[in-house]
Amino acid sequence: MANAFQVDVVSPEATVWSGAATFLLAKTPDGELGIMANHEPLMGSLVTGAVIVEAEDGTRTTIGVHGGFLQVLDNQVTLITDRAQVTSGGREEAVQVAEQLAAEAPPEEEPIEVPEEATDS
Amino acid sequence: MASAQLRDTRRRIRSVEAIKKITRAMELIATSRIPKAQGRVNASKPYTAKLIEVIENVGAAGAGAKHRLLEQREIKTVGLLVVGSDRGLAGSYSSNVIRLAESRIRELDREGKDVVLYAVGKKAQAYFRYRGFRIEGSYLGVTDTPGYGDARAVASSAVTAFATGRIDSVEVFFTRYQSAMTQTPTRVDLLPITPPERADREGPTATYEFEPSPEEILDRLLPRYVEATVFNVLLEASASEHSARRRAMKAATDNAEELIRVLSVQANRARQAEITTAITEIVGGAEALAEKST
Repeated sequence: MANAFQVDVVSPEATVWSGAATFLLAKTPDGELGIMANHEPLMGSLVTGAVIVEAEDGTRTTIGVHGGFLQVLDNQVTLITDRAQVTSGGREEAVQVAEQLAAEAPPEEEPIEVPEEATDS
Repeated sequence: MASAQLRDTRRRIRSVEAIKKITRAMELIATSRIPKAQGRVNASKPYTAKLIEVIENVGAAGAGAKHRLLEQREIKTVGLLVVGSDRGLAGSYSSNVIRLAESRIRELDREGKDVVLYAVGKKAQAYFRYRGFRIEGSYLGVTDTPGYGDARAVASSAVTAFATGRIDSVEVFFTRYQSAMTQTPTRVDLLPITPPERADREGPTATYEFEPSPEEILDRLLPRYVEATVFNVLLEASASEHSARRRAMKAATDNAEELIRVLSVQANRARQAEITTAITEIVGGAEALAEKST
């Protein structure tokens, strides 16, 4: 119990996964990141890939994730994803699902170009 | 032979019955879609809630309060996003929102501000185009089952226009889905983003560690917040639209039933009058014959 923490994985369409977990593995631009209880507060972005959650009761859930953010604060981990889907198979499948999600995802908004004169005013 | 009046009435009954079948079908379709739309509204709420929470935390951790989407400028041009429906047959659903938006346009006009319109749904687009307003963007075919991609398309054009300084604020007009019975046309300010006030919760969060810089995170968070807000608006509007359509079609079906009842009475009366005339004629004729033969 002592080393469990709350995990919420949300996407705009739904809450994908929510519950108490003992371990979480996510992919950030800097590489893979494992999180256990009492991790220091962290705010990071996520890249397309697999997220693995080990629930308190020992079950393992793999989730294919595309884009978004990760927040760790007070033993609460929140994954705000653009798209996410729980997969049944192993990690490879989750990665595949994530890539598929990325391919289907609505295009990222184009970078906004701010003309010089507009920024002055 | 049936009189002209009887035939006419019967024809009307048949046509009202046909219309009733259609309105009944539309009522049932709308009814079946309400729970789904409502479910999607609820399912999208955790995301927005978490996003607000994270933005609050990032803001509290001191990440640049300066961001181009937070910038409060002197307002010269206002962008209005009006969410109506693609189809009619939903009672006053679209016209209520449009009326609210139009009174706001007049108000802004009096203040000497320019207005740029973004229309979601054919009805809103047609209304404003007919009246010669400048429509900057219209999004059709999204109100039935809005997807996140639709929200992103709408949000990104508003964000771009705001960031480039073409418009100085964005207001959204849509129908809020309060309950199955109540939906109210509402106005929501979209841009500039009013930073959600951090309700003083637990202690300081200064020890936050950021993977990219706080500015970069905020730079990606805020457009998503706009998207999520628009998505929520579209989903609520969609649920409201289905509710409004169900109500309008139920009223139409009830009306048709009432009309059929009245017309049936009329038809029966016409038929009875015809029979009475026929009998009178036969009796009259028989009597005349009997008189002759005696």
